[in-house]
Amino acid sequence: MSSTPPPKPSSSEDIVAQKYDRCLADLLVKSGIGFSIGVVASVILFRRRAWPIALSTGFGAGAAYADCDRSFNPARIAGVRVVEHPPAESK
Amino acid sequence: MFRALPVARQASSKQTKGLVRISRRRLVTETTTDATPTSSTAPIKRKKRLLPRLIFYTTAATTTFYVGSAFVAFNNPSYHAFFQQRVPFAPTVLQYGKDHDWDVLTIADVIVNAYDGVSGSYSYIRKQLGYSVDETPAKAPEAKVPSKTKTAKAAAEARAGEVKGRVQKAVDALKTDVKASTDAAYDQGVKAAAIARHRGIQFTQGVEELVLEAEAALQGKPFKKSPSTHSEAPVPHDPSTPVTQSMLDSSEGEPTGPPLGNVYHAPLPLGHEPPPGFTHPPTPQPPKALAPGEPLPLVAPAVEELHSSEPILTHLAGTIDSLASFLSANPTATNKARGVLDVAKDDLSSLAQSFERLREEEKTKLEQSLDEQTREYTLKLLELELQVQDKLESQETGFRAYFEEEKAHFAKAYREKLEHELRTQSDIINERLKEEVIAQGIELQRRWIREIKLRVEEERGGRLAKLDELAANLKRLERVALDNSTYLDENLRIHALWSALRAVNNTIEAPMRRPFRDELRVLRHAAAARDDAVVGVALDALDAGDAPDVGVEPLADLASWFTTSVAPAVSRVALVPDGGAGVLAHVASYVLSAFAFRRRGLVHGDDVLSVLARAEYHLNEKDLDSATRELNQLQGTARTLLKDWLEAARRRLEVQQALELVQTQATLASLLVAQGL
Repeated sequence: MSSTPPPKPSSSEDIVAQKYDRCLADLLVKSGIGFSIGVVASVILFRRRAWPIALSTGFGAGAAYADCDRSFNPARIAGVRVVEHPPAESK
Repeated sequence: MFRALPVARQASSKQTKGLVRISRRRLVTETTTDATPTSSTAPIKRKKRLLPRLIFYTTAATTTFYVGSAFVAFNNPSYHAFFQQRVPFAPTVLQYGKDHDWDVLTIADVIVNAYDGVSGSYSYIRKQLGYSVDETPAKAPEAKVPSKTKTAKAAAEARAGEVKGRVQKAVDALKTDVKASTDAAYDQGVKAAAIARHRGIQFTQGVEELVLEAEAALQGKPFKKSPSTHSEAPVPHDPSTPVTQSMLDSSEGEPTGPPLGNVYHAPLPLGHEPPPGFTHPPTPQPPKALAPGEPLPLVAPAVEELHSSEPILTHLAGTIDSLASFLSANPTATNKARGVLDVAKDDLSSLAQSFERLREEEKTKLEQSLDEQTREYTLKLLELELQVQDKLESQETGFRAYFEEEKAHFAKAYREKLEHELRTQSDIINERLKEEVIAQGIELQRRWIREIKLRVEEERGGRLAKLDELAANLKRLERVALDNSTYLDENLRIHALWSALRAVNNTIEAPMRRPFRDELRVLRHAAAARDDAVVGVALDALDAGDAPDVGVEPLADLASWFTTSVAPAVSRVALVPDGGAGVLAHVASYVLSAFAFRRRGLVHGDDVLSVLARAEYHLNEKDLDSATRELNQLQGTARTLLKDWLEAARRRLEVQQALELVQTQATLASLLVAQGL
């Protein structure tokens, strides 16, 4: 989720806003998935304890946060090296 | 000792599994029960057995490892390096291996060495057990064989030598026979003389024998036959000179050798020896009656005439004379000796005469043969001469014919050369003539042209001059008219340009975004008619982009766009650091910029908010250029947000710039036209 050029109807100043929206959506989706996996795991493996659910939800939220961070800061994507030249950023 | 209870329990529990199981279990329990009393000593024994076993295995493993590693190291360089560096005592092992040539060891060597060892040990054991065995089973037969071969070789060589000798003798005999038949007459003559001499020597031999017999008889000794005469009998055909030499040697030497038993009693022809293996019969005892006072007859004078050719006879005569003198010294025996000596004298003289006769015969025979030979060879010579003459004649005719041929050939070649020379010369001359003709033609043409020119000049001076004036006037009029027309055209074009320019401007300055492709086309057309390079370039650049198709944003729209959406968005991202800004930084900036003071007007500062304020101010002054410049300075996230707005602003500015350029050019052109082209 790097900063792709926006389609024509939305202009460039809405990039950050779009990123925020995507981050929020990601957070909800991933936390939900984590929550559901946690519930399943807790029911099956951990004998209905509470902490797997919280843990898994936390995992999901963390993954969402990491993706969000990467979308805001492309330098943090794995394998990206920022060369200290003003005109170019190598990918 | 059985433990009844455990057995029973086990038996009861395993009964269902079968009888075999039970019996096995029984056995096991038996052994364990037997072992249990000695259980106290078992651990110690086990330990004792374990320790030597452990030591043995460790030593074996270490040795195997080191030796195996040495071999592997010699074959694999990386392992060699590792082994040498990491393992203790490795260099010594490797050195040992190198000294003993382990690195050049191959499987074949191993097999060979093993085989040698086994065979050696086998032979050693056999020897120890008392079997006779060859020292070197591989080499003994070789030793025996050479010795055998040596003896065989020697025997063979000896036999070969004998055979060779015999063969050689036969060959020599053949050779001499052949030689005798093919050599020149001289050799034959020599041979014949030698044969004759030999025969003569044989006679002298006979005489010598008689003399010796006489001596022996006088001395009362048995006559011992000399074997030298026998040995000469079977080789009468030896080559001449060695034969004579041997004859001389044997006749002058002392008679020695073993006496031969068989006596040949048949009468021998004169000059022949008894067959091999037989001896001469002993000469009868000569009568010894002799007058005491009579002097002994001397033999020497009787054979003096042969002294030159047969010195042997004279020598024998001398011997006889000495004998006579001896006898005279001993008067008692003179009577007996007289008869003998007379006989001897008569015999010698008769022998000498017969000898002379034979010589004469041989000489005549020789002369005959010589004559025959000469006749033959002269005939042959004549034949050869005729042949050679024929050959010479044929060669001469051949040479003459060849000579004639060569002469004709040369004559032909020379004639051809002459003809060729003539042809080339004629060609050259023709060429020269042609060139001269052409040159003359050119010369004539030039002269005519010159004449024509002269005439034309004359005419011109006359009637053509007036025509010239008229033409000049016409031309002047033309020029004037053309100038007027160009002036008018220029003016029209400039008017057109101005109109087009105004149209485009109107479109751009419209309150809505409208495409202006058509107006631009017209403008380009108008500008192209004027052939202005600068305008052309500018308009081409403008035409190439898609701004004419899309239109440019009106200034008002840009300003409102900026104020309503761009500026707030950018100000929200204002506090984000340039590099490595994550989501948290963005959120922080969002929150904090909400609490920032908003300044207006030309504020100083390089931070985002100040820049935004300045840009807004410029936009309010309708100065898009300055505003764009300001906003262009921003970097990072703010810049990405401003991209679209900047793009639109830049496009508008480009179009405006191009149109301004065109406008300036049009103004310049109109001024120039007004000035008068």
